[in-house]
Amino acid sequence: MLLDIAVETFGLTKSYGSTNALDDLNLKVKKGEILVLLGPNGSGKTTLLHLLATVLKPTRGTATVMGYDVVKQSLKVRETVGISFQEPRGFWRHKPYHILSFHAGVYGLRGDEKEKVVDETLKAFDLWPSRNKRFMELSGGQGKRLEVAKLFVHRPAVAVFDEPTAMVDLEGKRMIWDRIKGLRDAGSTIIVATNEVREAEYLADRISIMRDGKEVVTENLRTLKDSISGGDVVEVEFSNPASAEVLSGIGTVPGTVRVVQESETALKAFVNRSEDWLPQMMVLVQTLQAKVTSIRVSEPSLDDVFLHYTGDVGVKRTDA
Amino acid sequence: MREMLSLLRFDVRETFDSVPWTVYHWVFFAFQYFVYGQLVSRLVVTLNNYYFYYGTGLLIIMTFNISTWAGRRFVEGAHEGRLRYLLSLPFTRGELFLEQVLLGIVVNVIRIGPPLVLVLLIVGMPFTSLLTSLLVLLGMSVGIMGMMISLSFVAFKSFDIYSAIVAGMSAVLIRFSTVLYPLSSMPISYGTVSRFNPLTYGADLLRNALNFDVPSLLNPELSVVVVAAVGVSTMTLGMALVPRALEGVKSS
Repeated sequence: MLLDIAVETFGLTKSYGSTNALDDLNLKVKKGEILVLLGPNGSGKTTLLHLLATVLKPTRGTATVMGYDVVKQSLKVRETVGISFQEPRGFWRHKPYHILSFHAGVYGLRGDEKEKVVDETLKAFDLWPSRNKRFMELSGGQGKRLEVAKLFVHRPAVAVFDEPTAMVDLEGKRMIWDRIKGLRDAGSTIIVATNEVREAEYLADRISIMRDGKEVVTENLRTLKDSISGGDVVEVEFSNPASAEVLSGIGTVPGTVRVVQESETALKAFVNRSEDWLPQMMVLVQTLQAKVTSIRVSEPSLDDVFLHYTGDVGVKRTDA
Repeated sequence: MREMLSLLRFDVRETFDSVPWTVYHWVFFAFQYFVYGQLVSRLVVTLNNYYFYYGTGLLIIMTFNISTWAGRRFVEGAHEGRLRYLLSLPFTRGELFLEQVLLGIVVNVIRIGPPLVLVLLIVGMPFTSLLTSLLVLLGMSVGIMGMMISLSFVAFKSFDIYSAIVAGMSAVLIRFSTVLYPLSSMPISYGTVSRFNPLTYGADLLRNALNFDVPSLLNPELSVVVVAAVGVSTMTLGMALVPRALEGVKSS
């Protein structure tokens, strides 16, 4: 089992004075998966990424990356992890070509191979026409693409992206997401920190929701949606006014959280796992000889899940 | 080591990308030396060849300023996000620190070299003095850089306080030293303070290396020991303090 784990943290804590930016975090990232860290600002996502990249040292606890301890074997970790920072800053006077070339050289690429990889990466991230502009002359989106592109030069075993598509246009976002998936498919383990729900939905194999420096929940998207009690909404219309017997009967179907009568012929049921609930409801309705004319099912969005775990929306989590 | 040299090349390329800024240093030196130096040396009658004394003092001030720049660049790198990228690359912290110092040395050689040659030409010193005097200046610069980089932990709390400390140190260290006037011409109180200033030993060592005949130059052997000791101790301090300060500080 341990062989499947790329990154593991044990009680990882980072404090600044009396503030815990990261608080006793226990997290596992499987090899070859994309784990998305989703959380509001200040939830500790960036701090976690910086600790994994050995930019910061933990105050307490430990973390391993591909089995290497981030404190005791930090050089090995740096050889294993690549990080794309949230804000592309730093080398104002350098040109994209030189920045990627330097990055490639540091990770051992030389000569023709280095040149080929750098050229291909510049083209892949639509930076070829800007390759000889100074960094300070690039647009925000170009700078961000360059920041992300670094990791595609040396393709680390563990690639860490902090808000990889912030400042990038829609077309660019999709391009970056597809390339990150490609990096995963080529064998890298990916961790993405974001507060953009759409990005998480598109990329994640699993999502870890963070709040106040702690992991709130880590699951795949399906399980997260199912974990919201009464999160699936089923709207049912009948050909005739629904009887009291039908209404009370539906309320007893396992998985029903709440039933609201919308009109004489329509009701709305808030249920858990609509895919399990619906067949049982249909059997009941047929038994009571009511005729259903339409059914519409909507599941909670990741926004709902995110708000459920990070905000106060008054919906209880299913613990089962 | 190879990776560190890649970084050094990368940083040197960035530093000298601005040719006017490098030329500015030489032009500044030329103006200061040929205009201010000429005029002020006429006023100084108690010291033989103050013009030469002033020229070497000016070289030390330039070395001090460039070495201070190297420390400031390190700090700015932390605030601008450059340093956190470097911290994520596969170097040891020691290699990264060493690279910063080597960069400072390269910048010093390029910016100080031509003015030094100019001074040697004007005073008719043999070019064998070039190497020894350059070594003295670089030895001083290592100590100053070590000090400035060590102080960077202050900048992580407040860049303004760091700037004020560096400016204050610059003012005090240069004024209470033999950079612009020899010990023999100082009041006893100033002289006593100046003897505790490492810059005094560096300045006197430079003039010793150039065979400049000034009464009361400090013993060259002692000066070598002081310059070397300051360089080694500030570097050691920096290597101990800086990684701790950087890794414990939230990036901006």
